[in-house]
Amino acid sequence: MPREHAHTVSSYEQELDRIRAMMARMGGIVENQMALAMAAIVDRDEGAAAGASECDPQVDALERDVEALAIRLLALRAPLAGDLREVVSALKITGDLERIGDCAASIARRSLRLDPADGRISLGGLRNMGRLVQENLRRAIDAMGQHDSERAVEVWQSDTVVDELYTAMFRELVTYMMEDPRTIRSCTHLLFIAKNLERIGDHATNIAERVYYAATGDLLPVVRPRGGAVV
Amino acid sequence: MAGFGSENILAGAALLAAAVMAWRVMASRAGRRADALPKTDIDPARAAPPSADALSRLIETLDLVPAAILVLDAGGRILHAGPGAWELFGDSLSAIIRHPAAQSVLLRLRDGDRGEVDMLLDVPVRRAVRGQFRRVRLAHGESVVLATLLDWSEQDAVERMRTDFVAYASHELRTPLAALMGFIETLRGPAADDPQAQQRFLGVMAAQAARMQRLLDRLLMLSRAQMSEHRKPRGQVDPAETIARVRDETAPLLAGGPATLHVDAPDGLPAFPGDADQIVQVLLNLIENAIKYGSGADDRAVRIGLRVRVTAPGEGGAARPGIAFTVTDNGPGIEARHLPRLTERFYRVEGTAARRTGTGLGLAIVKHIIDRHLGRLAIDSVVGRGTSFTVWFPLGDGLSSNRHETIMDTSRPQPADPG
Repeated sequence: MPREHAHTVSSYEQELDRIRAMMARMGGIVENQMALAMAAIVDRDEGAAAGASECDPQVDALERDVEALAIRLLALRAPLAGDLREVVSALKITGDLERIGDCAASIARRSLRLDPADGRISLGGLRNMGRLVQENLRRAIDAMGQHDSERAVEVWQSDTVVDELYTAMFRELVTYMMEDPRTIRSCTHLLFIAKNLERIGDHATNIAERVYYAATGDLLPVVRPRGGAVV
Repeated sequence: MAGFGSENILAGAALLAAAVMAWRVMASRAGRRADALPKTDIDPARAAPPSADALSRLIETLDLVPAAILVLDAGGRILHAGPGAWELFGDSLSAIIRHPAAQSVLLRLRDGDRGEVDMLLDVPVRRAVRGQFRRVRLAHGESVVLATLLDWSEQDAVERMRTDFVAYASHELRTPLAALMGFIETLRGPAADDPQAQQRFLGVMAAQAARMQRLLDRLLMLSRAQMSEHRKPRGQVDPAETIARVRDETAPLLAGGPATLHVDAPDGLPAFPGDADQIVQVLLNLIENAIKYGSGADDRAVRIGLRVRVTAPGEGGAARPGIAFTVTDNGPGIEARHLPRLTERFYRVEGTAARRTGTGLGLAIVKHIIDRHLGRLAIDSVVGRGTSFTVWFPLGDGLSSNRHETIMDTSRPQPADPG
């Protein structure tokens, strides 16, 4: 765990770097978890489903470590301005990353309960939505690693599409269920999966907002702009 | 073959690194002899400046090797990405290095160790990457990791495409094939002596065969778009030339038909990096769709617009400046619930006139091409008024200019991360 170094200034910088490295690692794990969860649904890959659930303890441990390190840094080094914003944001971002991991694990667990013989329901919409969310998540984590406020704004703006896709999926699944009650079991699972994807999109947006704040010191507006469907 | 080549590259890189370090050690020994009496050179603070020097020399040498090479600190952070790595992986480098498979290898490495790992990235385009890592000691307590990345995507894509193609082809070709077989049965049996019916059936059969032909063409086009997806386009696209080619190629479709094409493009539009043939393909697909779906059920004249303009940074959610091609029609429009799914393969809006002629692949091809160019596709539609498809491509290489070659400060290697 955190080590003492002879030189205060470089050690401070090193501690910040350690937080950054741990956040990047956490981001990588969560991204991979999400990829595994999507493979579990779309390719019906049971191994991937198991893999996605197994990542949870690692993510939790990293969250605790980052938290401990950040609090220690705040207490002992009293960072200012940009550094202070970064450390405070890190505390919030790890929370979002951990929630994303939970959502991905939940998607993976549900994929095991989908009826493999139920080919009546097309997974195309879910795959599309998953890809968009994955793309947003990746860009949010890239923005986090590079303190890139422009990219953060891009992520923040494109979550609208994810919300629209969720609404469309919801409507589609309800229609299936009304037409044929035998699909209710599968459709309910799919509905929860879609909801989890939408949640992951929201958490990615939160990360983007935090990155923007850490990089610029400003907060993004509360209401997001709405535009055409970007696919 | 590729594996063997990569081994050589990494071995060569390590050899170069060793040579550079040997040279540095000799140089620094000569310089240090005067003040070496008290054993202060163990002090990490004093050891730091020469190692930064060694690092930059190492980087200089590595940049000459024609491979995707990265220099990482012992904690797995990117210190430097060589031109080869930027060329091949660009914006994906940080996503590759933070991949848990890479991180778990990186954190286990001790000085002199090597490790290899395969990774899959899903977005923005699927890529298979093999990473080879070797930890090298630079100075007392300071080590860096040399990473060589190999692009495995093409082999991976071929493998996937084979299974995809079989699945799609068998699914989509089955319907026209069943129709053909049905008519052949009829021609052999009940209609064997009825020349009038024969002519009618042959007409239908020809239409079905043409549909299969179109479907196969599109499937091949899709597979080509998919194959090239992870390869960065190398050429430059001149918008004026593109528009001229689109005009030429749509002329036969528009001749005598009810549809008209109106182009609105200012002079002196800047060129942008891309594959000119593919950009023409995108616009052709969009215009063909407008012709097919725009006229609606009542076969009225459809007015198709093609507008080209330069977009400022911040416009439409893109932080970079770009060029936008907008194809509009005054057709029946598409309901909002279909919009997000239009680029899915074989997704067709039910109840449209073109349901019989469309392959359901046109927009999927468009999407693959746009992904390759790091562009965007936006669809706006008002039912009863018309639809507009906007395709946006970044001007410049798609990476912001301030993020080039060296991502992070190379002046100080980081100490090993025990976490």
